[in-house]
Amino acid sequence: MALADGVIHDIGYQRYTGPRLGRRYAAVSLYLHSLRTAFGLGRTAKAKIFPFIVVGLAFTVAAIAVALRTQSGNVIISYLQYCDAVGIPLLLFLAVVAPELVSRDLRAHILPLYFSRPLRRADYALVKLGAMISAMWLVLAGPLLLMFLGGVFAQKRGASGAWHEFTDLLGGLSYAGIYALIFSSIAVLVASLASRRAVAAASIVGVFLVTTPVVGVLQVLGGDMLRQLSRMIDPVLLIQGLSNWIYRTHTMDIAGYGPVYLAAAVLLVTGCVSLLVLRYRRLTV
Amino acid sequence: MNLTIARITARGLLGRRRFLLLVPMPILLVGLTALAHGLQPDEARQWAGPILHGFGFAVLLPLIALIVGTGVLGAEIDDGTIVHILTKPLPRRQIVLAKLAVAVAVTAVVSAVPMFVAGVIADSVRFGLGLALACVVGSIAYCAFFLLLSLVTRRPVLLGLLYVLLWEGLLGNLLAGTRALSIEQYVLTIAAKAGDTTLLESHVSIQVSIAMSVVFLLAGTLLAIDRLRSFTLTGETS
Amino acid sequence: MNLVELRGVSRWYGNVVAVNDVTMTLGSGVTGLLGPNGAGKTTLLHMMAGFLAPSQGTVTVAGQPSWRNPEVYRILGLVSEREAVHGFLTAWEFVLASAKLHRLRNPQDAARRAISLVEMQEAKDRRISTFSKGMRQRTRVAAALVHEPDVLLLDEPFNGMDPRQRMHMMDLLHHMGDTGRTVLFSSHILEEVEQISGTVQVIVAGRLAASGDFRTIRRLMTHRPHVFAIRSTDDRRLAVALVGEASVTGVDVATGGLAVRAGDYGSFTRALPKIALREGIRVRQLVPSDESLESVFSYLVQGTAS
Repeated sequence: MALADGVIHDIGYQRYTGPRLGRRYAAVSLYLHSLRTAFGLGRTAKAKIFPFIVVGLAFTVAAIAVALRTQSGNVIISYLQYCDAVGIPLLLFLAVVAPELVSRDLRAHILPLYFSRPLRRADYALVKLGAMISAMWLVLAGPLLLMFLGGVFAQKRGASGAWHEFTDLLGGLSYAGIYALIFSSIAVLVASLASRRAVAAASIVGVFLVTTPVVGVLQVLGGDMLRQLSRMIDPVLLIQGLSNWIYRTHTMDIAGYGPVYLAAAVLLVTGCVSLLVLRYRRLTV
Repeated sequence: MNLTIARITARGLLGRRRFLLLVPMPILLVGLTALAHGLQPDEARQWAGPILHGFGFAVLLPLIALIVGTGVLGAEIDDGTIVHILTKPLPRRQIVLAKLAVAVAVTAVVSAVPMFVAGVIADSVRFGLGLALACVVGSIAYCAFFLLLSLVTRRPVLLGLLYVLLWEGLLGNLLAGTRALSIEQYVLTIAAKAGDTTLLESHVSIQVSIAMSVVFLLAGTLLAIDRLRSFTLTGETS
Repeated sequence: MNLVELRGVSRWYGNVVAVNDVTMTLGSGVTGLLGPNGAGKTTLLHMMAGFLAPSQGTVTVAGQPSWRNPEVYRILGLVSEREAVHGFLTAWEFVLASAKLHRLRNPQDAARRAISLVEMQEAKDRRISTFSKGMRQRTRVAAALVHEPDVLLLDEPFNGMDPRQRMHMMDLLHHMGDTGRTVLFSSHILEEVEQISGTVQVIVAGRLAASGDFRTIRRLMTHRPHVFAIRSTDDRRLAVALVGEASVTGVDVATGGLAVRAGDYGSFTRALPKIALREGIRVRQLVPSDESLESVFSYLVQGTAS
């Protein structure tokens, strides 16, 4: 039954005439989205479990530190020592979050969607890495802040004490930044090589755990120089050595190799970042 | 125990790139031991602990068991090929036992062989055999546990990592009470006893170790069989 | 002989009811399970195949429940919707393994027969990971048929098939149905279901909306009155105009608006805007009384309207 008279309403394809935000906007949006993904925000409750277990653990240790401090009046666990103490929960956080950020996109083959936008491949890689670094830093920064508040109220030297506390906090936050930078560079690189989250998680843990006994053995075997240099293979010891030099703590004997530790750290980070960018550039999607 | 399933599982496990992950750690273990022995043959006491315990039993064995144990069933559940195995008139215990057997065999070989070699280099053949035996027992207990995890949760690898890192690693060092529930400790004890050596420290008695290993095996297998019987596919696509 | 029986079957997940009090029996021949996406077809199929337990009601295959009963797979074959296959096996190995796992006395013969049934002989020694979608589908069907089951369940088997493959699969299913087997396949595409000569079960929003012969159901649809709730700027004047319309069989005027009964859904929906425009009345709200059912029935009547 055809209509006797007809009109064609042209509501077909309508071009978008609004502003087109460019590469920078895309990068910032991806960064914020990745950061939210890291903590499971904006997703189901199940996605929040693991990150928040880690956050809970981190805050618990900080709370213990504050409690010890108020009880005894002295600093039992300093800001720097705190970062060292939560090493294993941090590793767990890495193993859970890095694959979420990176391996998932590989598995779901959605990288063409990202790369056919103003966002460049290197941008994608660096933004993901940046999100991981920020997430890790936040996990440490929150409890450090808690320790700072506890410290300010526990100490008895008034304004100068508070200022002292604040500078210590800054030291702690920068140390957390070093941890975040070095750990994340390694983890995101490893995760970008595996498309299954489970395999990526196990690999990240494997890479970090394998270095400890290797260093342990080299420690026992070699002479002085070997002992100093072999430490740098283990990221955790590398960071601790670095802290000895920068913050002049005396937890380890680094015998003037400070600058070498710094060079090693810089080399490690730049190496991992370059490999990461290279990986995404060479990827055929 | 079903040979066809075992064969398919083995092919799926070993034919993929995933298997390459399992290769570097054994090589590293043997290499380190050889290096240590070469440099300080008389100071075995110094380096045997970190290598064999710190690397071998604390990292190599659990991680390989994790990758293999969650891979034999977890991978099929993940990509949906489990349906082909389940729509067959097979008693579910045959399926679980076949997959467990493959997992244990692969884990045991990949861990026991390098540990045996390392033990021989470090001390003696008896020590090497003790380490190998401990690896086999550890493989059985770990694989049964991780196989069960892959039926109980959708993220078995993460839970397994939680167990290895937090429970066995962190808490095991801090709280002595948790040691009775830590497979790593059973493995250590068996190695120390069977290898007749004091190079490894054990904190749990041999009776508890053997008994608890059996408990892990039985509980893991029986619970897994039951869960497989009630395996559910929801109505959503993928 | 009715092999598959569902009695009062419901399945819910928390507050969401996926299948709502479905009672149906499947006899020999081909049955199509038709319904829009999310209607509960896959849920029903999984319950029949023993992969989901009903929250209420009973699902029996040849008299035995299918849940927690591996023996049922001797007479049941399932081709699931997900394309998952062991990619590293060749088609031959996959079907042969299926035959062996069914404990057939002569697995090689059964596998050969199944593969020739789906016309995969040339490609049988290639790895499944190199196959196209249609070939993978056919391989899975071969593996599901290898033990010559009395009941064959297929979940959206024509997904991604080209017309020729679809025709071939349909022939295969008809052939199985003619030999006395019970074949059930689900689909949301009308054209696929149109070609069945057998029965159709229409499921919408978890409920069984219609069963029986496809053409009979379609005929019933044109006679079934549809009820619409209309609110406009001048209900009474609109009511007067509508009563004069041929497709309208009754109008009730209520304080909230009009309830209009229309015999021919298609004609009414085309006539209403013209009437409103002519009378200068603005229609504020037009709601079909049973929208979910309408959407499926609109599938069915599309062929007959106009």
